[in-house]
Amino acid sequence: MKKFLATICAAGLLFTGCGGEKTSSTNDKTFTYGTVAYGVAMENVGTNPHESYSGWSTLRYGIGETLFKFNEHMELEAWLAESFEQVDDFTVKIKINDAAKFSNGKKVDGAAVKKCLEALIANHDRAPRDLKISSIEADGQFVTIKSAEKVPALLNYLSDPYGCIIDVEAGVNDNIVVGTGAYKAVKVTDTQIDLVANENYWGAVKPKMDKVIVKSITDGDTLTMAMQNGELDAVQGLPYSSLQLFSGDNYKISQVETSRVYQAAFNFKTPALQDLNVRRAISMAIDKENFCKVLLNGNGTPAIGAFPANLTFGGDKVHALPYDLDGAKKLLSDSGWNDSDGDGYVDKDGKNLELRWLTYTSRQELPLLAEAAQANLKKIGVKLNVNATDNYKTFLKSGDYDIFSKAIVTAPTGDPEYYFTSHIVPGAVDNAGFYDSEQIATLEDELHNTFGAANRSELAIKMSQQVLDDCALIYASHLRMSFVMKPNVEGFTAHPSDYYEIRPELDKK
Amino acid sequence: MHSSVKIRGMKKYFLARLIQLIPILFGITFLTFGMMQFAAGDAVDIIYEQAGSVAEEIKAAKRAELGLDQPFLIQYGRWLGGILTGDMGKSFISGKEVFETFADKLPATIELMLVSILLTIFIATPAGILAAVNQNRLIDYIIRTLSFVGNSMPNFFTGLLLIYFLTLKLNLLPIIGQSVVMPALTLTIAMGAKYTRQIRAVVLEELDKPYVMGARSRGVSELTILIKSVLRSTLIMIITLLALSMGSLLGGTAIVETIFMWDGVGKMAVDAILMRDYPLIQAYVVWMAIIYVLMNLVADLLYHWLDPRVRYGESS
Repeated sequence: MKKFLATICAAGLLFTGCGGEKTSSTNDKTFTYGTVAYGVAMENVGTNPHESYSGWSTLRYGIGETLFKFNEHMELEAWLAESFEQVDDFTVKIKINDAAKFSNGKKVDGAAVKKCLEALIANHDRAPRDLKISSIEADGQFVTIKSAEKVPALLNYLSDPYGCIIDVEAGVNDNIVVGTGAYKAVKVTDTQIDLVANENYWGAVKPKMDKVIVKSITDGDTLTMAMQNGELDAVQGLPYSSLQLFSGDNYKISQVETSRVYQAAFNFKTPALQDLNVRRAISMAIDKENFCKVLLNGNGTPAIGAFPANLTFGGDKVHALPYDLDGAKKLLSDSGWNDSDGDGYVDKDGKNLELRWLTYTSRQELPLLAEAAQANLKKIGVKLNVNATDNYKTFLKSGDYDIFSKAIVTAPTGDPEYYFTSHIVPGAVDNAGFYDSEQIATLEDELHNTFGAANRSELAIKMSQQVLDDCALIYASHLRMSFVMKPNVEGFTAHPSDYYEIRPELDKK
Repeated sequence: MHSSVKIRGMKKYFLARLIQLIPILFGITFLTFGMMQFAAGDAVDIIYEQAGSVAEEIKAAKRAELGLDQPFLIQYGRWLGGILTGDMGKSFISGKEVFETFADKLPATIELMLVSILLTIFIATPAGILAAVNQNRLIDYIIRTLSFVGNSMPNFFTGLLLIYFLTLKLNLLPIIGQSVVMPALTLTIAMGAKYTRQIRAVVLEELDKPYVMGARSRGVSELTILIKSVLRSTLIMIITLLALSMGSLLGGTAIVETIFMWDGVGKMAVDAILMRDYPLIQAYVVWMAIIYVLMNLVADLLYHWLDPRVRYGESS
């Protein structure tokens, strides 16, 4: 039977003139990587960091490098830059590593960096607003950047994928740029990036693979079966339900906690939620441990605040209310919410405590969190109506929600300010709960004018604690990202930034 | 004299069908454009969704750049003006020319369509005839059961089953290699099952007709009757089905393309809809309308060629 089927398949292949994946010389070391995170829908097709989110592909797949990079605690380290000097609150002088070279062999000097940053500001939509650069000067291996206003997180922003340094003079050909990374792109399509080792790589560790093929595979089942079939050396983005298939000795898994948090913001315009006791009761009724363990199959860690434990200002640096159903019921009772009619729901002035939980479905964890919250809150007599819709923006505009739950990367560049200015300060563009705290506004003002990672961390902890004390949001879980690979793969590890995937250390034994 | 009249008739019919295409294109592009306006969020919302939080000024600037800040009728008018002058515009997401994007994806779709159609014909025609001539015998029951099962399974399920058996269990084909065999087989199973049942029914009907009995009584062999008479009669039905299948396959098969990472227009269209990439969606709609009108036109011409009694515009 097998022979018969093989004959049919062979005939099919001959008939169609299309064989399987073309393989190169057998001596080549090739790493084939399947990912759900590349493609048109991710807006990262291409390698030009000055366009949309293409810089993610440049950085993730080892084509480009930034001036600074993040370590596993999301602290900045030198990369293409050797050192920097904060001349004053508006000026930073960066020394470029003398050894740094583009993949075409050209030296990376101050002039090349200046050209690249000027092109970034001229072409990218988000970068100019983040960086606020007013002028750039180049002198040998030095580049001096002046900003129009104080930007304490300037170096963090320069480490965003859009900050990859490319040879602007070499241009962009068929979506391919000349970067400084361990690999260079040779073919870029909507579904695949083909890379070869950069023979001019300047770093201490030279690339160990001859070729790397990055394949976009958006169907979770296909990705799972391609890995099981041995067609891929490693995968990213497997469905949670598939991960357990790779738990044996035949595979290795690298996991890391990211700063993507699943949070729920209380709408302060809802009268019942203006009562701190009610917000605290709801927070205390959410069983985060079970949500992560059961519903996320262990692919998440219970969150305390907005930032994960691997950040200096995250994890248990702040404290939140514990899971305590009795305590929650008592708080409700203290505020006059009791089940007077015996229908299972607490009521006050003849009205049940009934709330609307708004969320969306494009993140698989969010509807699960909504269901968990619904079941949890029923235990303390709060009726929760879930509205999980991808049309959620319409509801946000009309204000038809009491709690809005979303997923957000809180520290994409390792700095806390972005999260506070976008989600927490009064009037912030994504402050969906209309949380308005004078203390937060004062602390944010201080943060905005404070330089130095340690000082900024301290302020971030104060602000996070204030948010938790005011019970403005519930932080349910941080996403745990997983890479699955064959046991012979080395140097392929998940990073909390989600930026660096293909590195020079990558090897197949 | 007679053939020149025929050609004139055909030209007139061809022209009439092309003229009919104009209101069809206008109507469906207008409707699609309108429907996209009702969808939640626009391309700018989607573009910046990944960035987490983006200031409204940046979004407003992007909307102005893409012309999304204009009223619906002006947006549509601009698009229509562009397409009438041969400019399909640029993708909102990739910034690439729409025509170029389409041209990139089309060869893969055409390849998949051709292979699936040919495989379907090669499998369904003999299977349908075999079932009909062996009506109510074991072989008929087997073919009918298989075609029933093939017809009932959705494409994504068939595709996953094929991956499971042909790749994971038998290790015959790669999943992610760029081979057309697996996606084509997936489509062939569903189409072949449908065609087999239709061909069987038509052949049975033909076999009951007086001309077949007459041929048999004159001693004409069963094989000759089947090939020279019955098969020719079933061709009209097969062509009707083919025209519809080719139309739908040329529109891409998003699910199969996604499962097998086949970079065709179906996946492109779904991505475009998800990303609210209006220029690409509109180009796809125009393409689909043209394909369906042309496929029906070709089918009509073929009917007439196969059976001159059929007048243009009639199927039997």
